[in-house]
Amino acid sequence: MYAIECNNLTHYYGSKLVYEDLNFKVEEGKILGLLGKNGAGKSTTINIMNGFLHPTSGECLIYGEDSQHLTPATKEKIGFLIEGHIQYSFMNVHQIEKFYSGCYRRWDSKPYWELLSKLKVTPTQKISRMSCGQRSQVALGLILAQDPQLLVLDDFSMGLDPGYRRLFIDYLREYAKANNKTVFVTSHIIQDMERLIDDVLIMDYNRILAQQPVSEFMNKFRQFDIVLENPDLEFPQTDMAVNIEQILDKVSFYGYATLEEVKGYLSRSGIGYKSIREQEMSLEDAFIGLTGKY
Amino acid sequence: MHKAIFYKEWLKIRWAVGLFLLLGLIVLVNIFLNVRYGVRFMDAHDYWYRIIIQGANYAASLKYIPLLVGLGLGVAQYFPEIVNQRIKLTFHLPIQENKVLLIQQGFGLCCLLLVYALYILIFVMGSSYFFPAEVIQMQLQTILPWFLGGLAAYSLTGLIMLEPLWIYRVLYTIIAYGFVSQYFLQAVPMAYSRVLWVFALLSLVTVIVVLFSGYRFRKGEMHHG
Repeated sequence: MYAIECNNLTHYYGSKLVYEDLNFKVEEGKILGLLGKNGAGKSTTINIMNGFLHPTSGECLIYGEDSQHLTPATKEKIGFLIEGHIQYSFMNVHQIEKFYSGCYRRWDSKPYWELLSKLKVTPTQKISRMSCGQRSQVALGLILAQDPQLLVLDDFSMGLDPGYRRLFIDYLREYAKANNKTVFVTSHIIQDMERLIDDVLIMDYNRILAQQPVSEFMNKFRQFDIVLENPDLEFPQTDMAVNIEQILDKVSFYGYATLEEVKGYLSRSGIGYKSIREQEMSLEDAFIGLTGKY
Repeated sequence: MHKAIFYKEWLKIRWAVGLFLLLGLIVLVNIFLNVRYGVRFMDAHDYWYRIIIQGANYAASLKYIPLLVGLGLGVAQYFPEIVNQRIKLTFHLPIQENKVLLIQQGFGLCCLLLVYALYILIFVMGSSYFFPAEVIQMQLQTILPWFLGGLAAYSLTGLIMLEPLWIYRVLYTIIAYGFVSQYFLQAVPMAYSRVLWVFALLSLVTVIVVLFSGYRFRKGEMHHG
């Protein structure tokens, strides 16, 4: 059984299509990163997965149950981090631990207090008076203490400075791998994802552009920097390229083709070039290369 | 689980409960100071005549206090849930979504009834010092609709606050205003005594309407606005 299985998911906001026939699965024990530009449908997917939005059609199954009608037993298996690390901020750090400990049977307060010991907060400090970074640790600590099988983290990096982001990621990855947890995560800071995720799911408006292990994606997806002989030449579109970006004589050519295949294409098409070289990419470069800058 | 939810709700409304108990106490003490003043320092006979024959209501200043308590407790309980859509956290708890709303609503209702019960107890105790049982009974039938109106206001506040779309909130507010104001129309003593059970029934029905807003939230209505 998959931890998450979305079948033919289609959603419209009024007459505006968000996506049609979206299909993806997340295996148990994997950390999957959902990447996409603003408005690509990340939040829509998270909301459907958590039962806060009825899809126009299709279904999303969490451990085999329709996400719109999750049983309490299945909800207990899911740790949910809401975008912006939203929590009951009218409580203090002690009260919130006391509250959640009464809700979950597998509650283990150790990781919560362990994470909080790294912060300079007192047990009576109200969450509303904490910094964004501190609140992120409270929210993460609560999820870890819940000991869920599946962690759904919506834009966990929002509002965090680099130190807290690193702390969050390192702690999370170590925890997930040591305990065979499944993690479904979105973030608008893609450089964070590279350290964290096993698999990547890249969404663009209305469709999925890539879903595969992040190492496989990084090996197969390439960027070639080409310097043209004729700066006035408009580089032609080709099926070989997923995306082409040109500034005068400099062309960035993104796709799954090898260097030899691209060279072959250039000579067959009679495109003169001064140089061509494969550019090393980070996940962020690859994401922008795949989805385009705009 | 129930205990944990009660704890969360108590953290939200405890200040409001304390504040309203204090407010009620001040208003009631003030009412009986006025009664004492009327009986002892004005013409006692005339005062009795106004109460018994003319049907004057010595508890008139209490009229909108139960309404204020209902509204206040509703806001104290549901406002923290709608800030940043924290109700998502509540719906994500390992308990059926309608059940968690009913537990919250039930707890709020118990606190509200407790505050009301204390008001009424103090009112009866204070009244029994000055008036015979028949007068107190008449006064109780006069003030009960105010409490039932406060109860309805509490429940409808939950409906309005949890509603995901502003346009619906405005619509519900207008309807709720029209509905709740029915409890406060007549100033004549015992005006509602024959239909008191109808008002009580209506107030009880409003307790579950919050489920409708909860359903609309989970359906994702706010995303369609």
